[in-house]
Amino acid sequence: MPTLHEVQTAMRHRLLDDADAAAAAIIANAFAPADRVSIYRNTSRTTLTNALRLTYPAVQRLVGEDFFAAAADTYISNEPPRAAWLDIYGSSFPEFLQGFRPAATLRYLADVARLERTVGRALHAVDAAPLAPSQLANIAEADHSRVCFVPHPSVSLMSSAYPVDAIWRAVLANDDETLAAIDLSAGAVWLLVERSASGVEVTRTAEERWRFAEALFAGRSLSAALELASNPDAPIWLAEHLAAGRFVGFALSNAEHE
Amino acid sequence: MSPAIVHRDSPIPAKAGIGLRFPHHQAVLEAPPDVTFMEVHTENYMGGGAPIHCLDAVRRDFPVSLHGVGLSLGSAEGLDLAHLERIRQVAERTEPALMSEHIAWSVSGGTYLADLLPLPMTEEALAIVCRHVDQVQSALKRKILVENPSTYMQFRHSTIPEWEFMAAVAARTGCGILCDINNIFVSAKNHDWDPSAYVAALPPAAIGELHLAGHSVRELADGGTLRIDDHGSRVIDEVWALYAEALRRFGPLPTLIEWDTNVPALDVLVGEARHADALIATVNKEVCRADAA
Repeated sequence: MPTLHEVQTAMRHRLLDDADAAAAAIIANAFAPADRVSIYRNTSRTTLTNALRLTYPAVQRLVGEDFFAAAADTYISNEPPRAAWLDIYGSSFPEFLQGFRPAATLRYLADVARLERTVGRALHAVDAAPLAPSQLANIAEADHSRVCFVPHPSVSLMSSAYPVDAIWRAVLANDDETLAAIDLSAGAVWLLVERSASGVEVTRTAEERWRFAEALFAGRSLSAALELASNPDAPIWLAEHLAAGRFVGFALSNAEHE
Repeated sequence: MSPAIVHRDSPIPAKAGIGLRFPHHQAVLEAPPDVTFMEVHTENYMGGGAPIHCLDAVRRDFPVSLHGVGLSLGSAEGLDLAHLERIRQVAERTEPALMSEHIAWSVSGGTYLADLLPLPMTEEALAIVCRHVDQVQSALKRKILVENPSTYMQFRHSTIPEWEFMAAVAARTGCGILCDINNIFVSAKNHDWDPSAYVAALPPAAIGELHLAGHSVRELADGGTLRIDDHGSRVIDEVWALYAEALRRFGPLPTLIEWDTNVPALDVLVGEARHADALIATVNKEVCRADAA
């Protein structure tokens, strides 16, 4: 008699690799054991493919449903979920697409996937109360340079050598005319992604503002971020982040230029 | 050994509710439907943002039942404690009237297989499930309900009838049973069991909720059929009849209409709930008349 662990390992192989080790433990009659397990395999594949479709809708429209399903099938076998929380499944799908040879001609595909991953993370990030400017009022002026901010879980940055934000918007709007007019060699884009009351917003920003935000969001001290920016407007950029609720807390660093 | 459990009487009246799915979030917020309670899949509310805010709003108007689909009570390798903690956090925020999970497994080798997979009905599996139900009830500090599965296969080495397995889990852990009437019907047809005998074998005092859903019928090459529990259509007449039998045996219970694929307009779900309410009322009248006679 097989142990429960043996039965479950055999069925996992059947569901992921299509190996037939589970059949021996299943009662055979008019409907073969392998066909019975296939019902579960199909449900599992459909559920996981749908989870990827929900996170990567623009990728699916760019490559077509059949291509997407084939790519998803390979990805699911290679990298099945490690948790029963499917909202976060597929975080390595962009890197998988990067190395997926049938997709190699779509140079920007992996970056569109990275943007969709970032949007998905913003969508599902946990709630957190924004840092109120009044909470900063008690910091001694001498300590201002040592402030290290904690970014809101739903705020993040990404950059791409391609105009992926324009591609993503045009694809989701089914706007073929705009899509055809996009200049892939127009230069890199620097993007801020955040959740608002009405959804997720993707905003293009200037490279130096993006790099300043990147330093702040990485938890570097205010003085280090200001030094990196070396721009008289940087305090205004900081005020904008605070006003938009992009931080949830702060700490004081020990070193001034950490 | 069972842990100390904080029992809570179900604050859900013995009437019909509906499973709330994403396509109906907006409609439900704009015009709360006339149903007694709502049930959601816990796994869909583990993040922040719009989904959990919708659930917060629904919770202000309705009792809510949290129905988990990913905890894998039957995994030989033990529970995913990070997943149990996510469930605990949703429960802390939502304060649900009921919480439930399935007699099934979906995790092996640390991989989530994204389906409710069948367990061999053995003493080994029973002991593992009971250990996990104890663990969950301790972590959540409350009683949970466990749902009977719908299955498409049986294991050669199974030794315990499914209805006895369900009753044993409830007896050993103090948990309740979420009796899915459609699942009983589907499994009974697939495995040539008597669905009425299954219902009659369950302990009435342990039943905390009933589920109803539609299923599909697949024709097999040999001329036989296989019932697939796809929650994609109306409850069929034979399942309504089995539901009435269950009400007569168990008494009136909170009853949920589930619909997960090809989700229809909200009105259709509410209509199914009306039908369940009407059956609850009819069976109650029968029972009152019988008592009076």
